Amino acid sequence: MTTTDNTTEQPIEGAPVLSFTDLDVKFNTEFGKVHAVKGISLEVAPGEVLALVGESGSGKSVTSTSALGLLPRNATVNGKINVAGKSVDTMSGKDLRKMRGDDVAMVFQEPMTALNPVLTIRTQMVEALELHGKAYGKEADAKAIELLAMVGIPDPERRLYQYPHEFSGGQRQRIVIAMALSCDPTVIIADEPTTALDVTVQAEILDLLRSLKDELNTGILLITHSMGVVADMADRVAVMYKGDLVESGTVHEVLTAPRHDYTKRLLDAVPRLGSRGETPPVVQTEGPKALEVTDLVVEFHRQGRTPFRAVDGVSLSVSRGEIVGLVGESGSGKSTIARTALGLIPAASGEVAILGDDITKMKRAPLKALRKRIGVVFQDPASSLNPRLPVGDCIAEPMDVHKVGDKASRRQKVAELLDAVELPRSVANRYPHELSGGQRQRVSIARALTLDPELLVADEPTSALDVSVQASVLEMFTALQEEYNFGCLFVSHDLAVIDMLADRVVVLKDGRVVEQGDRQQVLQSPQEEYTKRLLMAAPVPHPDEQRERREERHRFLEEVGEKEHGLHLDADK
Amino acid sequence: MSDERRDAAMQGSPEPLPHAGTEIDDPKFADKSYSQGQLVRRRFFRHKGALAGLAVLLFITLLAFTSIGIGSIPGWWDKDFTTTGSIVNGGKPTLGWFHLGEHPFGQDTTGRDYFALVMRGTQISLVIAFVVGIVSTIIGTIVGAIAGYFRGWAESLLMRVTDLFIIIPLLVFAAVLGRIAGQSGIFALALVLAGVTWTGLARLVRGEVLSLREREFVSAAQAIGTGHWRIIFRHILPNTIGVIIVATTFAIASAILLETSLSYLGFGVQPPDISLGSLIDQYQTAFTSRPWLFWFPGLFILAIALSVNFIGDGLRDAFDPRQGKDG
Amino acid sequence: MTRYILRRLAISFGVLFVGSFLMYVLTINSGDPLEDLRESTANNRDTLIAARIDNMGLDLPWYQRYWQWLTGVGGCFVGRCDLGTDRSGSDVLSLLQQSASATLRLVTIATIAAIIIGIIVGILTAIRQYSGFDYVVTFLTFLFFSLPVFWAAVLLKEYGAIRYNDWIADPHVSVLQAVLIGIALGFVLQGVMGGRMKRRLLTGGVTAVFTISALLYFTSVGWWRSPALGPVLVILVALAFAVGITALVAGLGNKRVLYSTLTTVGIGSVLYFVLGGALDEPNWWLLLGLFASAIVVGLVVGYFMGGYSRGQAMGLSAVTAAFMAFLTFADRLVYAWGSFLQLKPRPISTIGASTPNFPGDFWETTLDWGAQLLLPSILLTLISVATYSRYTRSSMLETMNQDYVRTARSKGLSERTVITKHAFRNAMIPITTIVALDFAALIGGAVITENVFGWKGMGAMFKTGLTQVDPNPVMAFFLVTGTAAVIMNLVADLAYASLDPRIRR
Repeated sequence: MTTTDNTTEQPIEGAPVLSFTDLDVKFNTEFGKVHAVKGISLEVAPGEVLALVGESGSGKSVTSTSALGLLPRNATVNGKINVAGKSVDTMSGKDLRKMRGDDVAMVFQEPMTALNPVLTIRTQMVEALELHGKAYGKEADAKAIELLAMVGIPDPERRLYQYPHEFSGGQRQRIVIAMALSCDPTVIIADEPTTALDVTVQAEILDLLRSLKDELNTGILLITHSMGVVADMADRVAVMYKGDLVESGTVHEVLTAPRHDYTKRLLDAVPRLGSRGETPPVVQTEGPKALEVTDLVVEFHRQGRTPFRAVDGVSLSVSRGEIVGLVGESGSGKSTIARTALGLIPAASGEVAILGDDITKMKRAPLKALRKRIGVVFQDPASSLNPRLPVGDCIAEPMDVHKVGDKASRRQKVAELLDAVELPRSVANRYPHELSGGQRQRVSIARALTLDPELLVADEPTSALDVSVQASVLEMFTALQEEYNFGCLFVSHDLAVIDMLADRVVVLKDGRVVEQGDRQQVLQSPQEEYTKRLLMAAPVPHPDEQRERREERHRFLEEVGEKEHGLHLDADK
Repeated sequence: MSDERRDAAMQGSPEPLPHAGTEIDDPKFADKSYSQGQLVRRRFFRHKGALAGLAVLLFITLLAFTSIGIGSIPGWWDKDFTTTGSIVNGGKPTLGWFHLGEHPFGQDTTGRDYFALVMRGTQISLVIAFVVGIVSTIIGTIVGAIAGYFRGWAESLLMRVTDLFIIIPLLVFAAVLGRIAGQSGIFALALVLAGVTWTGLARLVRGEVLSLREREFVSAAQAIGTGHWRIIFRHILPNTIGVIIVATTFAIASAILLETSLSYLGFGVQPPDISLGSLIDQYQTAFTSRPWLFWFPGLFILAIALSVNFIGDGLRDAFDPRQGKDG
Repeated sequence: MTRYILRRLAISFGVLFVGSFLMYVLTINSGDPLEDLRESTANNRDTLIAARIDNMGLDLPWYQRYWQWLTGVGGCFVGRCDLGTDRSGSDVLSLLQQSASATLRLVTIATIAAIIIGIIVGILTAIRQYSGFDYVVTFLTFLFFSLPVFWAAVLLKEYGAIRYNDWIADPHVSVLQAVLIGIALGFVLQGVMGGRMKRRLLTGGVTAVFTISALLYFTSVGWWRSPALGPVLVILVALAFAVGITALVAGLGNKRVLYSTLTTVGIGSVLYFVLGGALDEPNWWLLLGLFASAIVVGLVVGYFMGGYSRGQAMGLSAVTAAFMAFLTFADRLVYAWGSFLQLKPRPISTIGASTPNFPGDFWETTLDWGAQLLLPSILLTLISVATYSRYTRSSMLETMNQDYVRTARSKGLSERTVITKHAFRNAMIPITTIVALDFAALIGGAVITENVFGWKGMGAMFKTGLTQVDPNPVMAFFLVTGTAAVIMNLVADLAYASLDPRIRR
C-alpha cells in the first residue's frame, strides 16, 4: 500500500485543529491481534471539512474515536494525536475529559441510540454546559434553548423538557449536533452522521453541518462511506483501506481524478442516477401478472389505541420478467407491501394476486403450492440465513420443504446455484458466520432461485452491503434476472440502485403511492413534488455536479416555501 | 430458591458490542474460522471455575454411585446405610488425610455408617435434581416455544402461571405438592417439582423465540412455505440451544436446593428414602454433640450446587461471547 | 398509566383468587387430617375426632368449605374478617395478628437491605470488571446461590450468635486478631478502590492501620460493652456524607448544592443538642415526625440556597437531612447498648422473635428487637444480595456498552457522572422487575429461616398447618404473603414507570 503524503496543494490556513501523526491502533481480541489502523497521518484545518472515506473495517471510526481517547481498553495506540494544539496521547484523564466536549465534540451515527432515553433533553444538554463552566442553572437552560433553535428544532422552550423518544430521527440528530456545538468546540468529529437517516433528512443535516464550518469556522472530520456525501460536504478527502491511508487530496482531485486503484474501484462502484439511459420496454407476456396488488390496506394493531395504517389503498403490478422498483423513505410502507405480498402479514382489505391467485383468500395447501413459485431475498445478510445450517442446506431447504428431487439432484442443484451466484462450490459446507456479508447475500439469492421462481421479492437486498460489494451483487442480480426471467418486486430506499435495475418505478410515501410509471419517465421527469424532492436530495459523487444539484434543490425548496436547514443564528435568543 | 433469579442473572445484552472497525466480517477471517461447537468448547475449557466444577461434580457422582452401589448392584464400600451397629469411639469420623478408616464420616445415633447414609442421600438428591432439571427443561422449552411462536393462548397461559409464581412462593407451592407426591416415591416427587419449576425457562425460551421469529431467516422460511413445526424445530430451537443448556444447568442447581429444602421441612423425600436435606433435618439438633452429622450432608449439597453453578457459568460464557473477556 | 396499573391489579387479584383455590384444594388433599387421632390410643379418642371434624368442618364437602373460607375473606372488604379456625378451634385471624408482623418485618428489612447492598456491590463489580475484587465477589455470589439456607442458618446460629454472646461477656481483641482483621479489611478496600499500585498500597495501608488502632483502642477503653458515637463523630460523619453525596451526584464544582448540604448538616448539629432531651424516652410516632421534619428542613434549605440548581439542592439536602436524622438515632441506640447488656447478658438471640416480658425502655426494647431480627435478616439478605448484585452487574455492563454512554463520555463527563447519571438509571429499569419477582422467593426463604430460628411467625403457621392438613392457617399464610407480593409488584410497576419515560402515558 502506498501512503500518500497528506500535505496537499491547498494551503491550510492557521494551525490544524486536529492532527494525527503516524497513528497506529491494534486491538487484542480472542482471535489474536487485529491491526485496525496502520500508521496514518491526517490534519484538519479550522473551517475545513476533511472527509475520511472507507468501507466497513477500514479503520476510519477507530481513527476518529482515538482523537477523544475513547477507544476500548483492549486497544493499543501509538503515534501522536493533536487536538487544538494539545497533545491527546500524553494527556491525563482529567485533561482528556476537559478537552472532550470543549475542544472536540462528536456526532455519532445512530441518533436513535445516541441520546439517553431516560433523561430529558434539558438534562443532557445542560450537563455539558455546566461541566465545562459555560453556564449554570437557568442560564444554561436559556443557552440550551438557543442552541435548539439554532439547529432548527421548532418550539424549543417546550421541547427542551421532552424525552428523546418524543423526537424523530432527524430531530434527534439535530439535538446531538446542538449538544456537540454547546461548548463551541474547535473541531467536530462526525462519524457517519447521516447514514441512519432518510435521504431527504440527510440533505437537511448536511446543510446544517455545512453551515457550521461556514458560520462558526469549526473544523470538521467527517467519516463516511458515501461518496455522494463526500462530494456534497468535503474540502479534502482521505481514503482508508484496511487500516492504511491509500490516497488523500482535495475533493476535486480524489473524486474526479483518483490515483489509487482502490479509490477508482470505489468510485466506479457507486451507482449513479441517470447513468443507465434508455432501455427497451419489457415485452408484456400473456396470462396473469406475476404480482398484482389492488387497493391494498395493511393495519397494525396497537394495544389501547387506534390501529396504525401502514399501507393505505396501494395498487401496483409486476409483469412476468419485469423488475419493478418500490422506492420510499422509512415508514413509507414499502417493506410492509413486500411482506404482505409474501403472505407474511395479513392484509386488512384489498387483493394480492400472485400469478393470478389472490393469496388473501387462499387455503393452506394451495398457498403452499403457490409459495413454491415465489422467491425472496431480505436485507440483512447477518440474519437472513439460519446460523445453524450449513450453506448447502440453506440453499436446499426450499427443495426439502416442497419435496422436490432426491438427495443427489438437490446436491447437484446447489452446486449449479453456487456457480450461478459466483461462489466456489466448497462454500456449501461452510456455516453462514464464516462468510462475508456480500457472500451471504449471494447465498440468499441462490436460495431464492432454488425452485426457479416466477416472482422474486427482494427487500433492500443490498442496502446493508459496502458499496463495492453492492455493485457486484447488483450486476450479478441483473444477469440472473435475464437468465431466469422472473418478475421481481425490488424494494429499495436508494434511487440510484432502482435506476440501475428497474423497468418500472413505484414511489411511496406514508403508505400511499405518490407516483408510478416507467423508470425513465419517473426518474428523469418526475411529476410529483415528493418525487422531485427525493431525487434532488440524493447526492452524486461529483463535487461540481453536486453543488449544482444542491443549489437547484435550495431554489426548489424556496419555491415550495420551505425554510433553510442551516444554522439559525439570528433566531431570537 | 426460584428459577427467576437465575434467568435474571443470565440474560445477556441483546445487541453486539459496538466495536468500530474490528468486525470479523472480513473474508480473510473465514480461512481460520471455527465452527460454533469448537468455539463453545474452546471457551468452556478456558473457564477454570467451570472445569473445577465439572471435576468436582463427576467425582461426587462417581463416589455416590460406586461406593454403595445402585439397587442390587453392590459397590466397593462394605457397609450399607440401613444396618445399625455398635457405636465405635462415640461415632466420630475416622476420615484422615490418607485413610478412610472404619467409619470415614462417623456413625449416627443408632450406629449406622454415616458415609453410607450420606452417599445414599447424595444419590437420591442427584437423581431428583437431574430429573427435575431435565423434565422442567422439556416442559419449559415446549411451552416457551409455542408461546413465543404462536402467541395466543399458550402465551396467556404462560404469563398467568408466571403471575401465579410471583404471588405464591415456589417453595410454598412445591411444599404442598411435595407433601402429596413425596409419599409416592422420589420419581413422583421429581415430576411434581418439575411441574412447578418450568416457568422460568419457558419465559426465557419465549423471549428468545420472540426475537428469533422476527429474524429474516425465519421470515424467509415462512415465505417459501415451511410448516410451523418445521420452523420451530429446524430453524428456531437450534438457535436457542445455548440458552437452553445454560438454563438447564442452573435449573439443576436450583432443583437440588429446592428438594433439600423441602426434605428439610419434611415435605420432600419421605422415610425410608433419605435425602441430604432430610439428613440435616434429622440431625440438626445434634450440632453441639455430633457436629459431623450436620456438616457432611450440608457440605455435599453445597459442593454439588456450587459445582453445577460454576459449570453453568462456564457454559454461559462459552455460548455467549458478548460477556467474554474482550467486552 | 392509571389504566395499566388498574389492569395489572385486576390480573393480580384474579391470580390471587385462582391461587387460593389451588392452594385450598391441594392442601386439603395432601393427607389425612385425622391421622394422628386415628392412631391415638387415648380413651376419649372418639370425642376428639368428633371435635376436630366439627372445628374443621370435615363433614361438609370440600367446595362448601372453600366457599365458607372465601366468604369469610370477602368479609375483610366490609371490615368483618373471618379466616376460620384452626383444627383445635382457635381463631386464625388472631393467630395471624401475632405472627404476621414478625415475618413481614423480617422480609421487608431483608428486601430493603438486599436491594441497597446488592445494587452497590453490583455496580462496584461492574466498574471493576475482572479485578480481584470482582472475582472474589463473583465467587461469593455463587457460594450464596449454592448455599442451603437451612444449613447456613444453623451455622450462623452457632458461629454468629453463640460465639458472639460468649465473646461479649468478656470482650477482648488481641493484637494479633486486630492486625489480621485490619489487614483483611485493607485488602478488601484496596480491591474496591482499584487504581494504580501506589494508590492501592496507600488505601490498603491506611485502612489497615486505622482499623488496627481503632480495634485496640476500643478494647482498651471497654467500648465493646459501653459504646458511644458522641456528637463529634456524628457531625464529622454527616459532613463527610454531605460532601461525598454532593461530589457523587452534583460534583463539587456546584457550590450552591455543596453549601446547601453543608448548611443542612449545620442545622442538624444544632438540633442534635436542642432535641437531646426529647429523645430520652420517645415513641415511634415522635421519631417518625422528627424524621419527616428533618426532610422538610432539608427541602427548605435546598429551596432557599439552591439558586440555579434548586431541584438538585433540595433533593440532596433532604437526603443529607435524612442521613443526619438516622445518625442521631443510631447514636442514641448505640448509647443504650451498655444498659441493654445489663438487662440481657447474651444479646444475640437464637430462638424466637422477641424476648418475652422484656423490661427495658424504648431504646433497649428496640435493641432487643434488632438483636432478634439480626441473624435471620442477615441470612435472607445474603441470598438476595447474590441475586441483585449479579443482576445489577450484568445490567450495568450492558448499559455501559450503549451508545448514549459513549455520547456522555464524549461530552467530557467524568466516569463517576457517566455511571451514576447515565448508566445507572437505565440499568435500574430491569432491576425493578427482578426485585418484584424475587419477593416471593424471599418469603419462601423466610419460611425456612423462621423454622431454624424457632420463630412463631407465619412460616411456622404454614408448616404446622400443612403438616396437620389444616387448610385455614395455610390459607391465612397464603393470603398475607400473596397480598404483600401484589403490593410489591405494584411498587415495582410504579418504579418502572418513574424510571422509564417511554412507558408513561
